[in-house]
Amino acid sequence: MSSTSNAPTGNNRVRIVVATSVMLTFISYWRAAAVILNDLGSSAFYAGGIAEQAIGKSAPWFVLGVMLFAFAVRAVYVESCSMFVRGGVYRVVKEALGGTLAKLSVSALMFDYILTGPVSGVSAGQYIAGLINDTIAIADAHGWVPVAIHNLFHGTPQVGVNATAVVFAIAVTLYFWWENIKGIEESSEKALWVMQITTVMVVMLLGWSAFTLLKVGVHLPPFPTLANIHYTDESLGFWKHSKLPHMFGILGLIIGFGHSVLAMSGEESLAQVYRELAHPKLKNLKRTAIVIGVYSFVFTGLVSLLAVMLIPDDVRMKVYSDNLIAGLAMNMVGPQVLRLAFRAFVVVVGFLILSGAVNTAIVGSNGVLNRVSEDGVLADWFRRPHKTYGTTYRIINLIVGLQLFTIIVSWGNIYTLGEAYAFGVVWSFVFKTISMLVLRYRYKGERNWKVPPNFHIFGVEIPIGLASVAMVLLSTAIVNLFTKSVATVSGLIFSVVFFAIFSFSEKVNRRKHADTAAQMKEQFQLQQADSVERETVGIRPNNVLVPVRDYNTLNHLKWVLEHTDTREQDVVVMTARISQFGSAAYGLSTEQMFSDYEQTLFTRAVSIAESFGKKVSLLLVPARDTWSAVAQTAHNLDSSTVVAGLSSKTTAAEQAFLLGSAWEAIPEPKKQFVLQIVQPGNIVDTFRVGPHTPTMKNEDVILLHRLWLNVTREPGLENVHHHDILTQALTRFAHDYGALDHDHIVRELRRHSGDVDPFPVRRIADQIDTVQPSPPRPERDDVHRDDRPSNLDNDGSE
Amino acid sequence: MSVSVLLVKVLEFMFVAGWIGSAIVLVLTGIEDVGTLLDTEDENSR
Repeated sequence: MSSTSNAPTGNNRVRIVVATSVMLTFISYWRAAAVILNDLGSSAFYAGGIAEQAIGKSAPWFVLGVMLFAFAVRAVYVESCSMFVRGGVYRVVKEALGGTLAKLSVSALMFDYILTGPVSGVSAGQYIAGLINDTIAIADAHGWVPVAIHNLFHGTPQVGVNATAVVFAIAVTLYFWWENIKGIEESSEKALWVMQITTVMVVMLLGWSAFTLLKVGVHLPPFPTLANIHYTDESLGFWKHSKLPHMFGILGLIIGFGHSVLAMSGEESLAQVYRELAHPKLKNLKRTAIVIGVYSFVFTGLVSLLAVMLIPDDVRMKVYSDNLIAGLAMNMVGPQVLRLAFRAFVVVVGFLILSGAVNTAIVGSNGVLNRVSEDGVLADWFRRPHKTYGTTYRIINLIVGLQLFTIIVSWGNIYTLGEAYAFGVVWSFVFKTISMLVLRYRYKGERNWKVPPNFHIFGVEIPIGLASVAMVLLSTAIVNLFTKSVATVSGLIFSVVFFAIFSFSEKVNRRKHADTAAQMKEQFQLQQADSVERETVGIRPNNVLVPVRDYNTLNHLKWVLEHTDTREQDVVVMTARISQFGSAAYGLSTEQMFSDYEQTLFTRAVSIAESFGKKVSLLLVPARDTWSAVAQTAHNLDSSTVVAGLSSKTTAAEQAFLLGSAWEAIPEPKKQFVLQIVQPGNIVDTFRVGPHTPTMKNEDVILLHRLWLNVTREPGLENVHHHDILTQALTRFAHDYGALDHDHIVRELRRHSGDVDPFPVRRIADQIDTVQPSPPRPERDDVHRDDRPSNLDNDGSE
Repeated sequence: MSVSVLLVKVLEFMFVAGWIGSAIVLVLTGIEDVGTLLDTEDENSR
């Protein structure tokens, strides 16, 4: 491979290696399941209530049916991921049905994502408002509310449930808007923690419910027959004056199923986390699917069932329709204070998981819009990075603006929000499943797993399982069009508007991109590579890696070029294209990666290099987070030094810590390197990344030397080296830390960390006799030894 | 038979046939899932 440089190549173009695989930190299937359940599990808090409002007391059977059917939908996702590592809706539909339907499916998906935020935020607000009101009511019943306040409110003081929910939802949305503008990183650790707490709540809920059922008796909800399905005008939508829903029993089942289908919202996340699953990917994806399937069946399905069995009919829909789990907590057997405490716990868990879903909605929408923007169907204007934080703030503003609009228009009506939400959920599933069906015949590439069963008739495959799932989804989606008037109208308007924006932007961009591509072709030659390798980039080992992001702050690149002889050491300028949750699920082509922004950035970098008359190699990598990308690139390129500019958000030490943490995540074997942070005024902080010889204090060196002098006086230990002393000391430390004296060591380290109370090294060293140097022995370290006895005992410590 | 009734009949057929097929999917994938859960090879539960 020829060396890359900004010097004119044969055709006067600078070569840029563009890696097309996102650099990720791989996660276990437990973590992947936790990430998905943060979205999927949150629907347990509102799905049952919405379904019962629509179709009556037999709703839990439909919710259970949906959760059972979700296992089959999951099988479709497993098959799509076995074909495409990034097997999300857009990729699959585009592959099967073309760009137009892909844009339409993404519009439906966007409707799903954008509504996830308001539904979750409002639901959390409803739980909080319900808790406040019930607590005040109980306090008032005990006479703990002052009479003056009682009179002021003309009765028991109560907060407006919907208004409180709206205020809360707006506050949470604005909080996560700012977090996303700043560019928070998705953490599977946090998701796992939330799911652990949720699991504690679920176990308590199921256990206490079982105990309550033993006391009060088991009364199952009415089975879903036509006689037991009770429609309201709202639940029949455009069919409210039609006789059809009352004529056909199975149609009633489809209507009920359609009103419960939002219980499986969040399945799309399965395709999005697949990219990040650890090896063996497909097996771990199946394990993830089993975990989320069983968990959501138990949580969402059983909670809906128990709610009808335990909450009395007169209060269930009247008081607890929007906070069903809270109602469940309040209707267990046991002391009231205990029930209220458990309800508070339910509200805390609901707050955590539903707030997480608000964030997931923003991050997911941002990811999807970034992806379609990269595909040229949304103007580049949207992707312009934030000046300080480098995030796609215009897309985030658009999403959050739409979410706030939805929250205010709905005014806390969770039923309306949930009904509309189902439109996006079911239609994105329909597009996905039908596309998978089409791909059974059109796709000739690798496919590691298929939804069973499949038959062959005259050599033609009949995908029974896949077709069955598609038929259930399509029939449900079509019936929903008639019965969910709000969802149909709002969903269609939203999808058509988004589709129009996508189509119009695409036409405008096509011409603009053609001009840009022509300009780019004159200046840059893009070379696609699946992964970042030194040979691909065409550089020597021990090179200098220079991460760049903002074309206005390239001072560190100038510093590198000033101090590096590029004839001896290669310089690689890299930028990481951050692909967030969502967009990482989709494939990126070279041209999509290299937008106007990257072109400007590299043009500036090349211009600086040319001003020094030195060569630089250019590299563009997609990544989930910048520091992982830098660490992995330095590792892959065998770089000896990474030189970065000072971040506006963190200190140099924090940057070094972040890079060090990313380095730790790289599997062995790996090489250490040096990180230099160039601050304004060319002040340079240097850090070593990875295990390295620590900087030793003088007194430590003296202590080590004196120990060595004494140890080498022992018979048979004349040839011991300084490093042998250190090895022995560290081995003993590791042993004691691991078992014997862990707490004591931790206490001592805490006490002596910092300069307030430093370790008494000098005191220990002073207690060791001063020794007389003897002539150095050339075969050993350049040190001295002494034959006099030591005051140290066997272990050489005080 | 009116168009709307015909549509309803078609939808009902799709739903019932789809559910029967999906039930077979559930059974077959369920059997496979048991095997996946019992197979601890390459398991990474960090």
